[in-house]
Amino acid sequence: MFKTILQVAYRNAYLRKSRALLLILMIGLSMGVMVSIEGLYDGMSMNMIDRTKRSDSGEISLYANKYRLEHVIKYRISDADKKVLALQKITGVTEALYRLEVDGLAQTARKSKPSILLGIDLDDEKKFGKFEEFLKEGELDFGKNSAFIGGGLAKKLKVKIGSKVIFTAQDSQNEIKSIALRIRAIIRSSNINFDERALYIPRGEAARFLSVKQNSATQIALRTDETHTPTLQTTLQAKYPKLSVYTFAQLYPQLQQMQTMMDVFNTITFMIVMIVVFIGILGVMYVSILDRIREFGILLSIGYAYRYIRYQIMIEALLLGLAGYFLGLFVGLLILSYLTYQGLDLTLFAEGMEAFGMSSVIYASIKSSYFISTLFAIIIASLLSVVLPLRKIKKLNPVEVIRSAG
Amino acid sequence: MIQLKGVNKYFYQGEPREVHALRDIDLTIEKGEFSVISGTSGCGKTTLLNAIGVLDSISDGEIILDGKEIANLSAEAKTEIRLHEIGFVFQAYNLVPVLTAEENIGLIMRMQGFDDAQISQRVREIATLLQIDDKLDSLPNLLSGGQQQRVAVARAVASKPKIILADEPTANLDSSNSKALMNMMQTLNEKEGVTILFASHDNYVVESVRRIIRLDDGALVT
Ligand SMILES: Nc1ncnc2c1ncn2[C@@H]1O[C@H](COP(=O)(O)OP(=O)(O)OP(=O)(O)O)[C@@H](O)[C@H]1O
Ligand SMILES: [Mg+2]
Repeated sequence: MFKTILQVAYRNAYLRKSRALLLILMIGLSMGVMVSIEGLYDGMSMNMIDRTKRSDSGEISLYANKYRLEHVIKYRISDADKKVLALQKITGVTEALYRLEVDGLAQTARKSKPSILLGIDLDDEKKFGKFEEFLKEGELDFGKNSAFIGGGLAKKLKVKIGSKVIFTAQDSQNEIKSIALRIRAIIRSSNINFDERALYIPRGEAARFLSVKQNSATQIALRTDETHTPTLQTTLQAKYPKLSVYTFAQLYPQLQQMQTMMDVFNTITFMIVMIVVFIGILGVMYVSILDRIREFGILLSIGYAYRYIRYQIMIEALLLGLAGYFLGLFVGLLILSYLTYQGLDLTLFAEGMEAFGMSSVIYASIKSSYFISTLFAIIIASLLSVVLPLRKIKKLNPVEVIRSAG
Repeated sequence: MIQLKGVNKYFYQGEPREVHALRDIDLTIEKGEFSVISGTSGCGKTTLLNAIGVLDSISDGEIILDGKEIANLSAEAKTEIRLHEIGFVFQAYNLVPVLTAEENIGLIMRMQGFDDAQISQRVREIATLLQIDDKLDSLPNLLSGGQQQRVAVARAVASKPKIILADEPTANLDSSNSKALMNMMQTLNEKEGVTILFASHDNYVVESVRRIIRLDDGALVT
């Protein structure tokens, strides 16, 4: 019997093939586009999070207690090199480094802007976060008294490669000190904190400038296995009571929020597509059922149980929905694999995008969850879409149908 | 085998437009009988057939099929009776358009749970009797009206129901096709022993039948 139901379902779809094809195309394309948008959004927010972790916080950062509140060099981490070595041995920690940071003022002959001086170790940064990928212009090579500058700050100060910038700040002895720096490279990490404010110099020079010991740091950043992050935070906090341990989510709540927003956006797109599926199948099935009222009337008269007709209609709707799904799967995978390898080049809007901490080429992400949740949603939408048409058949009086057929 | 006792049927009972479509019908149909209900249009032929086939309810009275009262059963039980005990042939649109003649003929047997081999063998047997064995792979819309009705008769007969009820099966056919269909139903009646009760107002169809049940304004004419 089930075989007959399937046969009838398939042949009815085939009989009305232009309608069916149109619907399948509609479902397939809208699903393909939806999945692609979802992948792009995810890719975008993952990219932002990734770059922020690489350029700054890692998954976990440690600061001297109070530093996050007051941001003065008085609250610094001593013997940071030894601590980093110890931290690297802890399971779950994949990379570790330390930085020395101070707030101050950057000036040229014409302009001055509040900024930060970041003492970094270039090799450490490369290992930690592929720093070389952030280079926009110039050379990643600290010569004597030279610095890299964040792209946004460079623009605000109107400096180019080779320009000179004076940085002024208070050292650990509360002395006002200045340092003259020649710009060697412009950096775009897509982390607004740094792109708009940072000057990068070698860590040793920063220590000398601030009159602190060579192995002093304001921040120790760790890359960790995501699964270990929550437990690591508690163990590290216990191990270093004089330091404050923060996770990425605590340091950048706005990025976490943004991901939530993207999720909401994705959910809305998802619902729209499901409504398209629902209305599309509802329309096609409704018309198909109206066409076949006599057929159903006769079948009910000769002893065909109503439940078989219900299965019949449900299977026909599912057939359409699933055909659309597989087309959507194909289209979605096609677009997404292109966007994963080639990326979506938004260089035209690059300025705006980068100001928001995004890179100008967006790479999509592909998650099986896009397709699995869509599969369930399409099945549910298909089945829901026949509820109304089925009520029409339930109300059918076979005697009336036969009489009108005669 | 089938017994109607005091069957009455009203449409719009109690309303001003009330129709008394069947009046105190007492009727017995024996096993193996081939009989026709005849009468003018609107005399109640369809109403009577629908009542016997438990397609439509009756207002009062009893219908007994092989000793069992069937007119006052639940809707599900009536569906079962229609599936297992009764074969129906209607005036038109009998067939499922997307199923071939063979699949249409086997449909009821399939619902009853027969396996492929049993169905296929029985379908061929009946199709040969009704001379549509060369049309088994055709879809209904490729068959002539006469062939379509023969497929409908074949479907009704294939599952060996206790009785075949046919409501004006020849109404949409020309006279030669009507005669051919009547002859084949007669043959089925003789060879397979099926009980056939049908309605018709065509005189030449009615004349060829041994037992004629005459209806006038819902009442039997004796
Ligand atoms: N569903 C219904 N609602 C109201 N009245 C009905 C209904 N069905 C039949 N009738 C009435 O009952 C009477 C008998 O109708 P029925 O269809 O049984 O006649 P019939 O002998 O089959 O006629 P025909 O030869 O035209 O098919 C008619 O007066 C008809 O108008
Ligand atoms: Mg009639």
